[in-house]
Amino acid sequence: MNYFLAIFDTISTLITGMSVTLSHMLKIRKGNVTLQYPVERWPRPERNIGFNEESYNVIRSRLTVDMDDCIGCLKCERACPVDCIKIETHKVEKGEDLADANHTGITSNGTPKRLLVTRFDIDMSECCYCNLCTYPCPEECIFMVGGPNSNRHEIDYEFSEYDRNDMVYRFSKVPPDILQNYVQKKEISEKAS
Amino acid sequence: MGININSQNLNNNSDEEMVLNIGPQHPSTHGVLRLKTITDGEIIKKITPYIGYLHRCFEKHCENLTYEQAIPFVDRCDYIGSMNNEFGYAIAVEKLMDIQVPEKVEYIRVIVAEMNRIASHLLAVGVFGLDVGAVTPFVYCFRDRERILDLFEMLCGARLLYNYIWIGGVSHDFPVGWVEKTYEFLDYFEPKIIETNDLLTYNKIFIERTADVGVIPPEVAISYGVTGPNLRGSGINWDLRKNEPYSIYDKFDFDIPIGMGAMGTVGDCWDRYYVRIRELEESLKIVRQALDQMPRDGDVYESMPKKIRPKSGHIYSRTESPRGDLGFYIESDGSAIPSRLKLRSPAFTALSCIDEISKGWMLADMLTILGSLDIVLGEIDR
Amino acid sequence: MVDFYIDLFSSVDFIKPYQSSIFIISVVLSGIPIFGFMAVNALVAVYVERKVSAFMQDRLGPMGHGVGLHAGKWGVLQTLADAIKLLTKEDIIPKSADKKLFLLAPCIIFIGSFVAFAGFPFNEFLVAADFNLGLFYILAMSSVGVIGIILAGYSSNNKWSLYGSMRSAAQIVSYEIPAALSLLPIVMLSGSLAFKDIVLAQTGSTLGILPNWFIFDNPFMIVAFWLFFIAGVAEVNRTPFDLPEAESELVAGWMTEYSGMRWAFFFLAEYANMFIVAGVATIGFLGGWLSPIPGFFEGNIWGVFWLVSKTSFLIFVMMWFRWTFPRLRTDQLMRMCWKFFLPGSFFVIIGVGLWDLLMR
Repeated sequence: MNYFLAIFDTISTLITGMSVTLSHMLKIRKGNVTLQYPVERWPRPERNIGFNEESYNVIRSRLTVDMDDCIGCLKCERACPVDCIKIETHKVEKGEDLADANHTGITSNGTPKRLLVTRFDIDMSECCYCNLCTYPCPEECIFMVGGPNSNRHEIDYEFSEYDRNDMVYRFSKVPPDILQNYVQKKEISEKAS
Repeated sequence: MGININSQNLNNNSDEEMVLNIGPQHPSTHGVLRLKTITDGEIIKKITPYIGYLHRCFEKHCENLTYEQAIPFVDRCDYIGSMNNEFGYAIAVEKLMDIQVPEKVEYIRVIVAEMNRIASHLLAVGVFGLDVGAVTPFVYCFRDRERILDLFEMLCGARLLYNYIWIGGVSHDFPVGWVEKTYEFLDYFEPKIIETNDLLTYNKIFIERTADVGVIPPEVAISYGVTGPNLRGSGINWDLRKNEPYSIYDKFDFDIPIGMGAMGTVGDCWDRYYVRIRELEESLKIVRQALDQMPRDGDVYESMPKKIRPKSGHIYSRTESPRGDLGFYIESDGSAIPSRLKLRSPAFTALSCIDEISKGWMLADMLTILGSLDIVLGEIDR
Repeated sequence: MVDFYIDLFSSVDFIKPYQSSIFIISVVLSGIPIFGFMAVNALVAVYVERKVSAFMQDRLGPMGHGVGLHAGKWGVLQTLADAIKLLTKEDIIPKSADKKLFLLAPCIIFIGSFVAFAGFPFNEFLVAADFNLGLFYILAMSSVGVIGIILAGYSSNNKWSLYGSMRSAAQIVSYEIPAALSLLPIVMLSGSLAFKDIVLAQTGSTLGILPNWFIFDNPFMIVAFWLFFIAGVAEVNRTPFDLPEAESELVAGWMTEYSGMRWAFFFLAEYANMFIVAGVATIGFLGGWLSPIPGFFEGNIWGVFWLVSKTSFLIFVMMWFRWTFPRLRTDQLMRMCWKFFLPGSFFVIIGVGLWDLLMR
């Protein structure tokens, strides 16, 4: 008796299973979940959906620093768990103004800028995309941007690069020769005094 | 696929025995695990698991990170159920600092943790089907899992490693429209469990493959310290959410499924698999109740401390992750950096009993048994 | 077709003296279309399998889109791209493998399928070698492939390849028996082993609508059809019976050490075997090259069309099995064969015989 019950059981459960897959196959137009990637892209989560404060960006993608607002407080460097942000600052004498570096004046929040940020490197290949650096910044000048739907060149794959060194994003606006001149000038003036 | 296959005669026993090395990379996606199997051609005599291929010195790293910087690291231990890891860690540190989070935050945490439990169990169920040979349920489970990951992406921007549950609260509140989308997902998902049952659970071939295989008797389970669905599959009714309730789990009405031996012996692979399927339904219930009961207004940043500097002391707290009983031992010396952080991994104890339960089964069953234990190497090796 | 060519060449005066070369030329000329058909069958079958599996899993499968080289409008060039890739792969022979046997194994497997195809009719007239024991011939020739499998496993010098090939050989040989026995009712009902007579016995229709196919003759014939079909699936090593070549089991099977075009030969032989099993089931049970609407759409070309479409439907059912069910363990497979299929086929033989006796 168990013998025949086993046969009947087998046949009925197998047919149930087969009908599930057949129904999926016939409904492929509606049920398709493939996104044909370079041609179609996925909907990107809206930045600032309805948070009632200054919204944090919910994208986790590459980091960008708006150097005009950076005051060199080093809070983001301390917050990073993997130490991928490296910042170096110099105190500038009152009245000095290095060309092109835009290091005097006030930020868009009204904070006066006092430091010259000479090095602001973020190594994106070490970054763990945790977004912890964006929260402490008092000027909100570091944030994640880009993501799958930003404007890219046709054969660029999001932000991949060919060389590992290109993954280090250098944001500092001080050109190296001007920095060199400035440092030399400082050393001369220090020796003099 | 890179399976490392050695066969050499074992010198102390009969020369019928062979050593098969199922190398660190193998086609079933449980991670990098090496299983040295001693068989006599077909029947297994002994299995020795070798772990450590994914060791990333997590506990040592945490001795140099502040408490909030440790959250991305804690995420990456059990990368499939990240929210539950963060939840356990946050509860441990909050107990140490005596912080009481507001009710809204509790509800948010429970909703997010249970959704992640659904995602983790879907992966476990799908990969188990794949091990046994059925490819289609795997794809269906992943399709449903994608919907959950899309919801999480809308919430905090990340699909798998969230950095969302912070000490004293969560990183931000639910965006507008998230709750409605979650209700839609819950309605979409309930018939899918029935579909998986039709396709895999009650399929006679699947039952033949998994019933009576790899039985964990209840005494063996307790003596090895197995917890979670593996323990409940052996018939023991123990779930930390009911037996030692933490957070607000005592406000919800849900059952604890245990294995009854419906298709074979109590504690076989089918039972453990079926416990996971039933837990999917129970988690759905919890999420629905939590969404209904959650207070809609409230500030999630109320109890977030400005500086996380617990007083000296130590604490061990445990929560129920999808794999079992996840424990955190934190020792603090009063500074912003923990002096010792240890994670008790449930998958580690589950893997340790594989030798005992697979004696006498065939090689083809060994992968079935490994799949039914639902291990994640990230958690075992840390 | 061999006879046709021999007659053709013998009637031409200046080739007449060279009898042996006439024979060789006609054999070669009839074999080339068979090989062509096998290759096309494999190409189309691989594409259909990928698309069918994708549709069953809610995804799209190979599609052609985007910049650069791509796989044709609906991915139709995908198999061609695969074939080119396999041709250009490096030819790896393990150092400690038995080289001669290693090179011989794919040839034997291919020969097994090829000679079985030689006796397979597409039409009353379109058959490479017209035997009057066609059915018996095909069943016998499909066992030739087993030697190739064992040689492949043995020559790889890999203990687990050997085990995989032994399991596969045991499976094929065991399932031959229910397969052959469930074809006996066909012989009983038609009285002959030749394919032409089998299909001839299925012409006409009862009541003008239901065709006289053997599957509708008798409730036992439905059981016989399924027994033969499932035993045939086991012979071809497809899921749910594909433990010897399974990917997610720990042993990668008897084909592990083969790469590139040699592996493509195994694949070709597998799809050719699928076609043969489905084809024999069509001819024996579903009326072969007869049309389902008796009287309409009959004719030579229509016959080929009906045969190929019915066989393709059965191949689709085989693919449907593969993507729905998990696989059986070897001992469960053997148990099913000896305890369920074999008594089943005896039961069918007795049943059909009694029915025939009592109803006629």
